[in-house]
Amino acid sequence: MNDLLFFLLSFFALFGAFGMIVLHQPVHSALSLIVTLLALAGLFALLNASFLFAVQIIVYAGAILTLFIFIIMFLNVKESNLPKEPNKTLYLFLGGIVLIPLNLLVLRAFYAMPLLREPLAEDFGEIQPLGAALFTKWLLPFELISLLLLVALIGAVVFARKDEV
Amino acid sequence: MIVSSLFSYVLVAMLLFSIGLLGVIARKNIFVIYMSIELMFNAINLLFVALAQYRHSYDGQIFAVVIIATAAAEAAVFLALIVVLFRRKKSLDADVLRALSQKEAA
Repeated sequence: MNDLLFFLLSFFALFGAFGMIVLHQPVHSALSLIVTLLALAGLFALLNASFLFAVQIIVYAGAILTLFIFIIMFLNVKESNLPKEPNKTLYLFLGGIVLIPLNLLVLRAFYAMPLLREPLAEDFGEIQPLGAALFTKWLLPFELISLLLLVALIGAVVFARKDEV
Repeated sequence: MIVSSLFSYVLVAMLLFSIGLLGVIARKNIFVIYMSIELMFNAINLLFVALAQYRHSYDGQIFAVVIIATAAAEAAVFLALIVVLFRRKKSLDADVLRALSQKEAA
């Protein structure tokens, strides 16, 4: 059962990712990326990361991609604004061939690692132990993230404001 | 069982990362380039979570949370930049943005 779920989810993840780089319109690409993100959320759930499952759906598919589609519609992109890519398929094909050795190298490095054998703890991936680790061992990175988000907020406002002469 | 093996997740993450890299090098649309970067973030996230389960440690999952927060911050800045660029250049072509290129200056 879990094997079947894994196959389906990884198929949808790869399918969505492939559609994203092949489709011409940005809106179609964004919708295709949402399929990938939701499938990845399912893979997180298979990996006992229930908190990340929720975060992936709420923050990634819910907030970031919605903002993204909102911006695409807000810009009102016409066909004449899009770049002409006559050799797109050729470039994608050639790039795919170039990337095969890199893939094989990484997969060979991981192939030697043994399979997972020991059973996990009962509450692995629940919010409580994850939050305990986040607020004790990783407290400083957690606070730095809040600073980073504040800086990004100010930066976005500064960039997007109208130029004053 | 296939699900419990680390290798299958590494395979999926690697393929997703390659597709993202392919999108960055082969496409000219700024939106698609940005989404490819997001896809690479997600592939690395999957790798982190798989390794967290493999090592019975929360460090990988917390790193994934940090990456998601960073991606959110990046999305805000990047989309503001795209809005400004589109307002000025009226195009989404990455080849139009060559203010720093040496050929243009010569």
